[in-house]
Amino acid sequence: MTIRLAVNGQDHAFDLPPQTSLLEVLRNDLGLNGPKYGCGYGECGACSVLVDGQAARACVMTLGAVAGRQVTTLEGLGTPEAPHPVQRAFIEEEGAQCGYCLNGMIVTVTALLRDTPAPDRATLARALRHNLCRCGTHLEILRAAERAVTLMAEARK
Amino acid sequence: MTALTIWRTGKAGPETLLEIDPAGTVTGFNGHVDLGTGIRTALGQIVAEELDLPPARVRMVLGDTARTPDQGPTIASETIQFAAVPLRAAAAQARAILLALAAARFGCPPGALTLRDGVVTGGAGTADFAALLANQSIRAELDPAARVKTPAEYRTVGRSSPRVDLPGKATGTWTYVHDVRLPGMLHGHVLRPPYAGRDSGPFIGHSLLAVDEASVAHLPGLVAIVRIRDFLAVVAEREGQARTIAEALKVRWALPPELPDLGNIAGTLRDLPATKRMLTDRGDVEAALSRAKVQLARSYSWPWQMHGSIGPSCAVARFEGGRLEIWSGTQNPHMLRGDIARLMEMPEEAIDIHRHEAAGCYGRNCADDVCGDAALLARAVGRPVRVQLTREQEHLWEPKGAAQLMDVRGGLGEDGRFDAYDFETRYPSNRGPNLALLLTGAIAPSPQPSDMGDRTAIPPYRIENLRVAVHDMAPIVRASWFRGVSALPNTFAHESFIDELAAEAGEDPVAFRLRHIDDARTAELIRRTAEEGGWQPRSGPRLHGEGDFAFGQGFAYATYVHGTFPGVAAAQAAWMAEVAVNRRTGEVSLTKVLVGQDSGLMINPDGVRHQLHGNVVQSLSRTLTEAVTFDAISVADQDWGAYPLARFEDLPEVRSVLIERPEEPPLGVGESASVPSAAAIANAIFDATGVRMRELPFTPERVRAALAGAPMPRALAAPPPRRRRFARMAATLAAGIAGGLMAGAVAFPALRAEIPRSAPPAAGLWSAETLARGRQVFAAGDCAACHTAEGGVPLTGGRAIETPFGTVHSTNLTPDPETGLGAWSYPAFARAMREGISRDGHHLYPAFPYTAFARITEDDMQALYAYIQSLPPVRAEVPPGRMIAPVNLRGTMAAWNALFHTATPFTPDPAQGAVWNRGAYLVEGAGHCASCHSPRNALGAERTGAAHLAGGTVGGWTAPALNGTGPGPLAWTEADLYDYLRDGRSNRHGAAAGPMAPVIAALAELPDSDIRAMATYLASLAPAPAAPEPTAETLAATAQEALETATDPAARLFTAACGSCHMPGPLRLASAATVPLAFSSTVHAERPDGLIHAILEGVPATPGGGASMPGFAPALSDARIAEIAGFLRRTLAPGKAEWTGLTETVARARATRH
Repeated sequence: MTIRLAVNGQDHAFDLPPQTSLLEVLRNDLGLNGPKYGCGYGECGACSVLVDGQAARACVMTLGAVAGRQVTTLEGLGTPEAPHPVQRAFIEEEGAQCGYCLNGMIVTVTALLRDTPAPDRATLARALRHNLCRCGTHLEILRAAERAVTLMAEARK
Repeated sequence: MTALTIWRTGKAGPETLLEIDPAGTVTGFNGHVDLGTGIRTALGQIVAEELDLPPARVRMVLGDTARTPDQGPTIASETIQFAAVPLRAAAAQARAILLALAAARFGCPPGALTLRDGVVTGGAGTADFAALLANQSIRAELDPAARVKTPAEYRTVGRSSPRVDLPGKATGTWTYVHDVRLPGMLHGHVLRPPYAGRDSGPFIGHSLLAVDEASVAHLPGLVAIVRIRDFLAVVAEREGQARTIAEALKVRWALPPELPDLGNIAGTLRDLPATKRMLTDRGDVEAALSRAKVQLARSYSWPWQMHGSIGPSCAVARFEGGRLEIWSGTQNPHMLRGDIARLMEMPEEAIDIHRHEAAGCYGRNCADDVCGDAALLARAVGRPVRVQLTREQEHLWEPKGAAQLMDVRGGLGEDGRFDAYDFETRYPSNRGPNLALLLTGAIAPSPQPSDMGDRTAIPPYRIENLRVAVHDMAPIVRASWFRGVSALPNTFAHESFIDELAAEAGEDPVAFRLRHIDDARTAELIRRTAEEGGWQPRSGPRLHGEGDFAFGQGFAYATYVHGTFPGVAAAQAAWMAEVAVNRRTGEVSLTKVLVGQDSGLMINPDGVRHQLHGNVVQSLSRTLTEAVTFDAISVADQDWGAYPLARFEDLPEVRSVLIERPEEPPLGVGESASVPSAAAIANAIFDATGVRMRELPFTPERVRAALAGAPMPRALAAPPPRRRRFARMAATLAAGIAGGLMAGAVAFPALRAEIPRSAPPAAGLWSAETLARGRQVFAAGDCAACHTAEGGVPLTGGRAIETPFGTVHSTNLTPDPETGLGAWSYPAFARAMREGISRDGHHLYPAFPYTAFARITEDDMQALYAYIQSLPPVRAEVPPGRMIAPVNLRGTMAAWNALFHTATPFTPDPAQGAVWNRGAYLVEGAGHCASCHSPRNALGAERTGAAHLAGGTVGGWTAPALNGTGPGPLAWTEADLYDYLRDGRSNRHGAAAGPMAPVIAALAELPDSDIRAMATYLASLAPAPAAPEPTAETLAATAQEALETATDPAARLFTAACGSCHMPGPLRLASAATVPLAFSSTVHAERPDGLIHAILEGVPATPGGGASMPGFAPALSDARIAEIAGFLRRTLAPGKAEWTGLTETVARARATRH
């Protein structure tokens, strides 16, 4: 069975069982580095991607579940030369130590700001509640998220 | 090609420290690696400073055995203090060489030249590095005495410099070890022994009894199964295939001996064999104690904790032409190379380790182990292999931060001085031998202690009579260094004890410390931290509070001393912590922290501050939350639910005071700010409540118990022995029931007439319409579900179906003449469908629902026959059933049929409309819903009357009532039923799971009109509601509130394991549950089986797309699933009776799951 979906704006077709993990397809079939394997149970958020603009944990999504949908990964947001405002905020505020959870933080904040353009710090913290970081970068991450709110507002002008 | 190289003679020959290529590009080489702390940036700054370059123009190569110097493992915050020293000298030497070249070129003395931003300016002009090095090929041996800059000359060092790796990491262009992909790469998946997390004892390397390779031979993608003693792995083409194969592979292991009681840290560590090593013994401790005005004896304990890397370890290996290359996330590439050489019996020179960044490790995790795995597999299959450990494997097997016990005695002299201190610490750890070496038997699994329990064991205070000893002991479970190593526990004891003494003396704890400090730098740090933190002097606990809350301040200080005893001091740090303690629930919130730190020269102040913040958050997590739990034989925590970490909502307000000392040498900052954490928090709890916490972690249960004066509960009551992967459920045989059948069995014939074999019908016999109709009947009956074995070829039967009377196997439905239905004429088929009699005349068991199929109309039955005969024939033998006597006498079934079966077709009810009748026909006929959804009597027959469709069980799952008497809080309306049958999900009830999921998938073949008809019929069965039901919105809000406000351990487990999908916040995840758990009948049902099965096995994606839930069977123990189920029951169904015997129910469900 062929399953079609768009990833970072590009159409792809896969002849794979529909229950194949979306994370495996993104990482191994498409060679994308952004989404990371962390737990396989949706507990940590390292594998986060956007599905039709909404944040999703790719480790618990199947290929079949995203058939015909738009998936965006960290790579699809921006590049080192032209980062997305949320990426820029995390780079400027150094919202990462090892950076393994960074993908999930950026994707989650990006999804939040789409629907909630001006969240306060408490809302940002609640939105990131189920994204784990072991380095303890939480303070820098929250500061980066706050800066992302500003940069996104500027970008919208 | 390089133009300038600075090298030194290392352990194994020349080692390059710095290179400048003809284009002027500068590359520094360092044997230490970046563990996510930003050390790459700081090392680049050091090189850039000496060469007067912008930091961005320096490239650093870290930890590559073929290219970088061997500088030992990246541990103990030593990189800046030690590993950077030769690098800095090399850069300074290169500068001198460049200036000499320029001096010759411009004909002026080097002193007349200036170097700025990579350009030398002299009297006659300017030249950059490329120009100066044109046609040069200089190799200079390192001059360790090369003149380096003085702090006054610094332009880059001491200023914050942006992290060089973050633009790549934030955009997905950085290559972590997890992102290394080689051409032709395969995927390995390891299967670890049951002695998870253990590394000594004669069973290590001798526990693998049998591997049934045939059990996975049919699975796609399999390349190899590799077995060396207890090392076992599968290699497959795809990553997911490798995991599927590994999970399906039938393996028998011997069980290891039980562990001692690791919940009782004090008792277990005191009983363990140890070598006592005296670190210092001065004055006369015993005499001083005996004359002490106040004497205290205290014990403090620290639990086993996880490094908890967010990314489970990963490695890629390539074995080609006698050379082995490994891409690794190791902390110590050169040490790892030695281990791999031993494992593979290869010379070290034939092995290259390429170090890539991995998830932060904070010490020794599984990064090295997985390299051994990958190396063995790459050699076995002759292609590159990537091995990615699972979350469960990383949790179970990472060498833990060791538990520790500190027994302390101390006393105050006549003048209130801290006059005597007797300190003993026990640290059961080694340096984490490579797992592959142990599993393959390459090294002996004998207990080996290490000497790392002595870190910061000497207290920083002036105490005249001082005795400090460490008991070196081998680990009980794998243990190795973890950020702060033994210094955290040792300091927890020192800094709690001095607080206790100060309180006994009635003296202010900060003033008391200062009275015993000689070093002026330390005194300044303590004073400034207390001042800036708003320290309130006191002579005892202040016991401030309001309502349920008590508020307190606590202070602690440490100079982290690392390395082999007596060690070297890293940065010193002091904490001022403020807590709020909920006296009712026992919850401790760390509300404010001020950390003062003296790091000497700070290479990158922002980097120092980030390390400090990271230490605060990580150590508050370790202090308040973290403790590894164990079952009888191994580590029990396998996911973030079982081992939760601090979250954003736990963050305190954090301030830092970084004392500027640019003239002093730089000190390591990677760990120091963690070291005072636990004592500062314990001291603050004491100030707030007067209660002294001496055992980590300070969980609400422990604090509550301490407040009540009760004995401290442990982090988690020791769970029962894990049966997870090994137990077999004892079969319970319904002997009495079977006996009941025996009585009637004899009067009925065992066999009916055989219907002769017939030639298969000719292809093209049936019209497309007939086949389409048959296909729908086939779908309505979801024949494929039962007639396809787990992982087997569709429709060829062989699925084991458990019944109370034994196991039957479904038959091959394809028209294969020998093993399937190819030789069945239509009359034989129709008789089987309507009467339960096989072609050869024997009786079928009613696990095959002929009682329902008898209602199928003649037209539909013929179409179904046609469709089945049109399928491609597949030869497949089916194993015989295993029924218990007398049910195994098929003749008994004749008696059963006489009692319970009438083979009459469906007759429409003239009082009802056509839609209703169509629905009834589908539900009661081909759909055979009652097979699962009606309770069965003692003889296994569906009950009728009011019990018809009143709910049953299937494969351990609860099949809820379809007659409107279900337990859920919201009634099933016709619209709900339609949504559920059509999409597999109703917004008011939840999603189809377990055996219902394939039914929904099959129903996709049916037209909307049929789905509506079934909904109409089923909705009509419901009685009128007795009372108005709550609105879905009210129910959802109440449930959410209940989940959010619960504070018990089960609530924390639920939040960590289930929260991202089942606790909606400001962000709605596309992968999250769309229906509140409170709506699900499973939490309201009389029995917990449905909920438990859903947790164990997960919920598949619905056909229309959307989320799926993973099965948590591999991750959560029986006890933890029971905890979650019990929590959901009391929280979401508060009016209903609590479930009992949950852990046993989970064990049973686990044993029967498919």
